[in-house]
Amino acid sequence: MDLLQGTLDLLILKTLALGPLHGWGISKRLRDLSSEALAVGQGSLYPALYRLEDKGWVTAEWRHSPEGRKSKFYSLTATGRKQFAAERAQWREFASAIEQVLAAT
Amino acid sequence: MSRWRAFFQKKRLDRELDEEMRLHIEMEAADLQSRGVAPDIARREATIAFGGVERYKEAHRDARGIRWLEDALADLRYAARALIRSPAFTLSSVLVLALGIGASTTIFGAIDAVLLTRLPYSHDERLVEIGMRNGDNTWHLSAVDYRALESDQRSFTALGAESPNEVAVRIGNADAVRQSMAFVTSGVFRALGVTVASGRAIQPSDETPGAPAVAVVSAQMATRAGLGQTITIGGVPHTIVGVLPPGVTTLGRLSGDIWPVLQVRPPTRRGPFFLIGLARLKDGVTVDAATRDLAGISERIFPIWASSFQARSARILPMPLRERVLGDASHTLGVFGGAVALVLLVAVANVSSLALVRATNRQRELSVRAMLGGTRGRLARLLVAESLLLAVTGAVAGVLVAILGLRVLVAIGPHVPRLADAKPDVTMLGFAAVVAIVIAVIVGGAPVWLLARSHATGSRVIGAARGTQATRAGFVIAQFALTLPLLAGAGLLLNSFLRLARVRPGFDASGLAMVHVSLPFARYGNDTTIAAYWVRALPVIRDVPGVLDAGLTEFAPPNEPAMDFNNFALMDRPAPADGGQPESPWITATADYFRTLRVPLLDGRLFTLADSASAPPVVVVSRAWANHYYPDGRAVGHQMMPGGCTTCPPTTIVGIVGDIKVQGLDAPADAIYVPPTQGWPPQFNVIARTAGPPAEAAKRMVAALRTLDAGVPLDHAMPLEDRVYDSVTQPRHWTMLLGGFAAAALMLAAVGVFGLLSYNISTRRREIGVRMALGARASAVINMFVWRGMGHALLGTAIGLVLALWSSHALSSALFGVSATDPTTLAAVTVVLLVVALTASWLPARRAATVEPVTALRLD
Repeated sequence: MDLLQGTLDLLILKTLALGPLHGWGISKRLRDLSSEALAVGQGSLYPALYRLEDKGWVTAEWRHSPEGRKSKFYSLTATGRKQFAAERAQWREFASAIEQVLAAT
Repeated sequence: MSRWRAFFQKKRLDRELDEEMRLHIEMEAADLQSRGVAPDIARREATIAFGGVERYKEAHRDARGIRWLEDALADLRYAARALIRSPAFTLSSVLVLALGIGASTTIFGAIDAVLLTRLPYSHDERLVEIGMRNGDNTWHLSAVDYRALESDQRSFTALGAESPNEVAVRIGNADAVRQSMAFVTSGVFRALGVTVASGRAIQPSDETPGAPAVAVVSAQMATRAGLGQTITIGGVPHTIVGVLPPGVTTLGRLSGDIWPVLQVRPPTRRGPFFLIGLARLKDGVTVDAATRDLAGISERIFPIWASSFQARSARILPMPLRERVLGDASHTLGVFGGAVALVLLVAVANVSSLALVRATNRQRELSVRAMLGGTRGRLARLLVAESLLLAVTGAVAGVLVAILGLRVLVAIGPHVPRLADAKPDVTMLGFAAVVAIVIAVIVGGAPVWLLARSHATGSRVIGAARGTQATRAGFVIAQFALTLPLLAGAGLLLNSFLRLARVRPGFDASGLAMVHVSLPFARYGNDTTIAAYWVRALPVIRDVPGVLDAGLTEFAPPNEPAMDFNNFALMDRPAPADGGQPESPWITATADYFRTLRVPLLDGRLFTLADSASAPPVVVVSRAWANHYYPDGRAVGHQMMPGGCTTCPPTTIVGIVGDIKVQGLDAPADAIYVPPTQGWPPQFNVIARTAGPPAEAAKRMVAALRTLDAGVPLDHAMPLEDRVYDSVTQPRHWTMLLGGFAAAALMLAAVGVFGLLSYNISTRRREIGVRMALGARASAVINMFVWRGMGHALLGTAIGLVLALWSSHALSSALFGVSATDPTTLAAVTVVLLVVALTASWLPARRAATVEPVTALRLD
């Protein structure tokens, strides 16, 4: 299943809300959480991450992973957290509105 | 902010991104392996899952939002590399553009300084100069007119007068020097709004005749003679009471370092006319209203002074100061501006044409780039980047040329007021920048347009090549069309100059020397003292070793900038009642003067000692004057009343001498000579015929006269030949400048047609080979290409002739003895242009004819 336009940012914010992760970790967790149903173009993650960093919602830092490799770890900032809450609320409203329309007979 | 960080940290960010992506793929591969996938397959799968690395890198960069800037820099870097790879094209283009931009920026700098900059006075549009006019004649005011203005005018808030003069100045015990300066009234300072930096300006109380003489000096002069010091001006001690601010050396239209007070004495007659009025208009009063005001004054005073002045229709006239200062500067600069603009256009056409060839030669490269995904916009940007780089480099070099050019122009250029103030400034840089951008668009535009067209027609190579040929032909035609008017202008000036150089000044200047002597009026204020000086001086001069003969003339040939003119009424031919009396140069000279110059006496006699102040007044006239007024050749014996005098004794013409040019080689030789014995002028030129070098004799004459009176300024000690040569300096420089422009344009046009044909031939070698193989003769091939080149040249030349006929009248005022549409000159320059075109066409055509049929057939 391809991602809906504009939802990649929300999904990244969600995975990072659970804790700091490196790029591949984010991609892996997305696949795990959606039971492999959501196919995030792995490469497209990085431009999105840069965009979020530029907006100040995530910060990045090079540090050693548990496997002992130096990787770039992304984590949510305070504004990122607020943005995540806001976007999540928006999405739910949007999804329920769509559902309501589809459920109508 | 972060975008700029992203831009400046681009390298580091790109490196980090690489590393991050590499890690990602490794981790994915490791994950797959841990689920039992073979290592090499895992690696490939991981890479595929990630997608195209480069694509994401680009997307990542796009996300950074500085794509356009990176691209622009990349374009410029690429363009620079491409330009460096073809140094011949780059160098020649930059050189051509540098000269074009340099020349136009130079002229712009001059136009900016002279025409666009306001006069350095507040509200300069309200300033007027006041003089007299009758019909086409304009002259200065007399004391009568000035006094009448002072008491009756209702148009001005302030009114003053200046009187230009050349006066002997002595500071301390130094040798007296003749210096030009203007005597000024206090009103000049008030009208212009000029204040002194220290001391005081000239005040109304200083103007009363007999008041202590004071002067204001420039800041530069103050370093030699400061506040409170006394300098001797024309023999009269003047106290310096004020110093002008640094840099102020002009008041109104006159320049100088010393500004002595002008004391206007109560007039006894209406004349002489020696005052230039300067005034500031009241708010709300127009020049027209002031003209009516002053016309009223003219009419009112006329009857009062009718005995000394009969020109009833003459009017006191206000003229905007700006126009008076600029004179015909706008015309002069317009001609140069036009010439330079033509050169610039030829240069741009030339470089555009070169750039087109380059673009055509790079069709293949551009096609490959287009196939690899370069968008048309991106390719166009690349071409524009190249032209921009060329234009900017050309502009930078051009500005250097302009800085140098402006100095040269100030030094040798046409005589234009305020040109000396022209300095390179920001406006000039701005102009160069704008020109560079326009050039970049034109030079880059043609290939881009072709690129766009070739895409549109889908026939990339052939279509573009054909379009290029047509466009280039257009550029070649344009170059010829623009070059012809330049050649015509240069040809006309050259023709005029050669005629001028052939004009005989009326005497043989070789072996003649001159020295100018001006007697300070304080010690030599009347005929007795002046005559006494010359009675002693002439024998001293004749005794100088090497001097064979010597005479005196008030105004020296062949061009005297400050001639005296006098009006006269012929007794047997009274002037019409409205006062249109004829005028003539009025020159005091001795009989020795004509003998020294070896100018023949054609009729009557020269002056003798009997022509004394008490004897009846006599004059000798020049042949031109005699032919003018007495065409029957019998001028001798006729009588006249000079200077509008009605009560004086009549003056008799006693002789006719050969013509001597005094008003310039290009002017008529009318002249009336009067003997010094009937009125001594304060200045004389000693003209001596010498054995040996005249320059040496002139120096010895100066030394001899110094022993007589060291307080008398002596200058212009030089061979008369030098003076004749110098008198045509201006036309010589005009001819050289315009000739230089024309030569540059001619060269560019020749290169243009040469390049077009060479390229045309190189693309048609195969066809030529086939023709040769089929038996075409070499001459046929040569003819084919020569006619092709000449076709463009002929068309361009025809257009150029029309342009030349339409524009050459702008030169009329600078021409002597040649009409602006002189058919001989136009025919000559057309022939020159076509011969150059023929040569430039024949050279490549001849090479085409040497193509070996076999080698040509083997070409790809």
